[in-house]
Amino acid sequence: MKKPSQYIRNFCIIAHIDHGKSTLADRIMELTGQVSERDMEDQLLDSMDIERERGITIKLTPVRMFYSADDGKEYVFNLIDTPGHVDFTYEVSRSLAACEGAVLVVDASQGIEAQTLANVYLALENDLEILPVINKIDLPSARPEEAKKEIEDVIGLDASYAPLVSAKEGVNIKEILEDIVRYFPAPQGDLDAPLKALIFDSYYDNYKGVILFVRVKDGEVKKGDRIKTFRSDKIYEVTEVGVFAPGLYEKSGLSAGEVGYIAASIKSIQDVAVGDTVINAERPAAEPLPGYKKVQPVVFCGIYPLDGSKFNDLKEALIKLRLNDASLVFEPDNSVALGFGFRCGFLGLLHMEIIQERIEREFSLDIITTAPSVSYKVVKTDGSELFVDNPSHLPPQSEIEHMEEPIVKVDIYSPPDYLGPIMDLCREKRGVFKEMTYLDANRVRLVYEMPLNEIIFEFFDSVKSRTRGYASFDYELIGYSTSKLVKLDILLNGEECDALSMIVHEDSAYLRGRSLCENLKDAIPRQLFEIPVQAAIGGRIIARETVKAMRKDVLAKCYGGDITRKKKLLEKQKEGKKRMRTIGSVEVPSEVFMQILKTNKD
Amino acid sequence: MMAGIYVHIPFCKSKCSYCDFTSYPDKLCYAESYMACVYREMSFRSDELKGRSFDTLYIGGGTPSVIDESYIGMLVASARKNFSLSKDAEVTIELNPGTVTADKISFYKKCGINRFSVGLQSAIDGQLEDIGRIHTAQDFKDCAALLKGENFNADVLIGLKGQTAGDVVYTIDFAAEAGASHISMYALTPEDGTPIYTDYLNGELPDGDEVASLYEAGYARLKELGFVRYEVSNFCKPGKGSLHNLNYWRRGEYIGFGVSASSCIDNVRFTNTFDLDEYFKCILSGHLPVITSEEIDEEGRKEEFVMLALRTSFGLDASEYKRRFGGDFFKDYSAALKKTSRWLDVSGNNVRIKDEFLFVQNSIIVEFLEG
Repeated sequence: MKKPSQYIRNFCIIAHIDHGKSTLADRIMELTGQVSERDMEDQLLDSMDIERERGITIKLTPVRMFYSADDGKEYVFNLIDTPGHVDFTYEVSRSLAACEGAVLVVDASQGIEAQTLANVYLALENDLEILPVINKIDLPSARPEEAKKEIEDVIGLDASYAPLVSAKEGVNIKEILEDIVRYFPAPQGDLDAPLKALIFDSYYDNYKGVILFVRVKDGEVKKGDRIKTFRSDKIYEVTEVGVFAPGLYEKSGLSAGEVGYIAASIKSIQDVAVGDTVINAERPAAEPLPGYKKVQPVVFCGIYPLDGSKFNDLKEALIKLRLNDASLVFEPDNSVALGFGFRCGFLGLLHMEIIQERIEREFSLDIITTAPSVSYKVVKTDGSELFVDNPSHLPPQSEIEHMEEPIVKVDIYSPPDYLGPIMDLCREKRGVFKEMTYLDANRVRLVYEMPLNEIIFEFFDSVKSRTRGYASFDYELIGYSTSKLVKLDILLNGEECDALSMIVHEDSAYLRGRSLCENLKDAIPRQLFEIPVQAAIGGRIIARETVKAMRKDVLAKCYGGDITRKKKLLEKQKEGKKRMRTIGSVEVPSEVFMQILKTNKD
Repeated sequence: MMAGIYVHIPFCKSKCSYCDFTSYPDKLCYAESYMACVYREMSFRSDELKGRSFDTLYIGGGTPSVIDESYIGMLVASARKNFSLSKDAEVTIELNPGTVTADKISFYKKCGINRFSVGLQSAIDGQLEDIGRIHTAQDFKDCAALLKGENFNADVLIGLKGQTAGDVVYTIDFAAEAGASHISMYALTPEDGTPIYTDYLNGELPDGDEVASLYEAGYARLKELGFVRYEVSNFCKPGKGSLHNLNYWRRGEYIGFGVSASSCIDNVRFTNTFDLDEYFKCILSGHLPVITSEEIDEEGRKEEFVMLALRTSFGLDASEYKRRFGGDFFKDYSAALKKTSRWLDVSGNNVRIKDEFLFVQNSIIVEFLEG
């Protein structure tokens, strides 16, 4: 058995959102001479516009660097930047499987946050060595010793040697690099064994086909090799291999321990799923690598083109987005109110928002999205079970024996001052209190069990507004539980509007229905007839508002000089109508479908 | 088809707070030069319009009655000299009750003016003062007395600050009692840049629903008094409708003279400069003062024809549509007709917006627009 080079370090950086992960990655690249300071653009690895604007990392990005350590040896560093937000845990777990170590960045003034813990546990599950780093020591509010103590108390890691750094100011970055060499193990594996490479990401290149991001665990791969993946029989010839520098940089081959990419004129992403193992077609390895847990979408919504004729463009956009976001799922859907579109599944609300934004920006498509929903388990009277994430697909009430809804465990971290408001909020959201721990005098961790359904309606905003932004939270799915759920329908002028239906808990149905009707009343423009706006459960009306008939809509004077003006006015009115959807005889502006989701009034 | 002549007199004593027309309260001294220019502008157009006969002449403003009546006499003469204006043409002049005398009126009549349009706006002095009118309700009464037996219109505004349905009814009664054979009841349109616009921004004017109620009250009263609605804002005693205005709604041709005047001849719509100095410069240098001009294509002509016809109580005549455009109105607009059928009365070739929906006509007419 021939072992891989002892001078390779594969690692990632994990952190809570906003703790300075991307900035630290930039500094490390700068220090290893990967990019000259002159070419340095802030947050080099966050290449998507949305990432830079929002200051978050969505996609993982690998990069290879050389580092001449104090021991006189030159090391190859493969850094994989990872997203910090809870929704992208999936992406994090993928990059972790390609690494031996993780640099854990903790903000010196904020200490441990929800996502810090989640990511640490993920890293520990993957048997990674963890190197804690205290960042932002340049801030006046920095309290590095307390942060260290928190790491020791909460996570149980020895943080006494944790480097104190400021990624922003470039302080003590070298110490991290030395620690990486010292503490992170060199990759294991066997250079002589048959090829085994884990696909941890991919994207589609118009010229080269699908580009696979891989971590080679055993053996080697080079141009001209015939490869296949473990789960597919299709064989491809490798046209190019290389590393990330940070762009694609061709090399003659990749061998065990290395991180790089493979291009093999692969046309369909379906045949090379992320998490699968690349093997040599002539000398196939017997066992695949462990791969990843397949993630299930937890939040769903309908996405429709604003202009009905753009259905195919929307389809194209979703297919392209899925190429480098395997967690996005979608299937064609048809709504009476909105026409043809897609039912899409997401890992969380931020994920949903990001996808919506990317469709609008990267593909210049105007879309309408329906209220987010979760996946409910429906047990029918005949004993059969099904999962329903689209309210309009719910079987008739008479056929439902009972329904179950997804429950999540929510970890909330907050200063003690806001315990009251948070507990009130959780109670309103049907949360069940589980535990409370004081992390230190200034930080409390609250654990609740709560229906996911309640979290997708503005829970995030409410937590932030009630704690003036100080609290953070994280959630994980823990199972399903029987619940009194009902389908709330909205009727406009007596006609049910399928795109506005939602599944809600019986106890909140009345309030939700009333606030929906109120919002709709304000959002629907007055028309030539009175429009009753009703909320109903199983045909029984529970709330009603009325959009009064319009009474004046005329240009009073219309003589010789007014004709052009009058025509323009009407043309403008006509233009406005194009953005409307007709439900029965009622014209509803497209924006309404999104506006009315703002049901919470705090 | 009919054709009309419009002349704009851009002078007034004082600008009303809602007025968005081109009118100068401080330039009366230019009246003589201005009128000379108007006569000249008419002569510029004389040859071009030789073959056409005109049925109406309308002298509007501004306040035409503010300038010396002799200019008006010359104006009518000039119109007759340059164009073929039929003998029994409808010749209208707008009057402000605060600017008339018995001599003026009798002179107007001698000149061949046979229709008068008097700005009453409201019969309540407080409201008149509020919107910057220079006259009182009594002034209107006096003016009406001078017009006894004549065919005259009274303009009434609805949507004034604090105006009630009772105020509107009172004003209409006041105008009718004074002998008006025609009443125009306009909803005030607060235009950006006018003093009243700030009232509007501050929510001091009645909102759309309230204006609709005022309109309904006024309309009901007018009906009781024997006035017939023939256009959304125009009501007359039988046979006393304004031919000049009907010509606009039938999409007839018209030629306008003076600042800001609009014309539509041979399907080209053009508008004169809104600036008095520029107008003088153009005319004195022998040029037409036109600043914008647009040829209306067939699609646009159809749209205008439909849009204008549907604002009248007569509605649209499909046989006239066929005569002008050669198509079948019911076929060409089948989708719009279907969509708006509940708000229309259709009988034979006639299509009209139902009485109770004339005040929300935009929402209906918009369906007939292309695209």
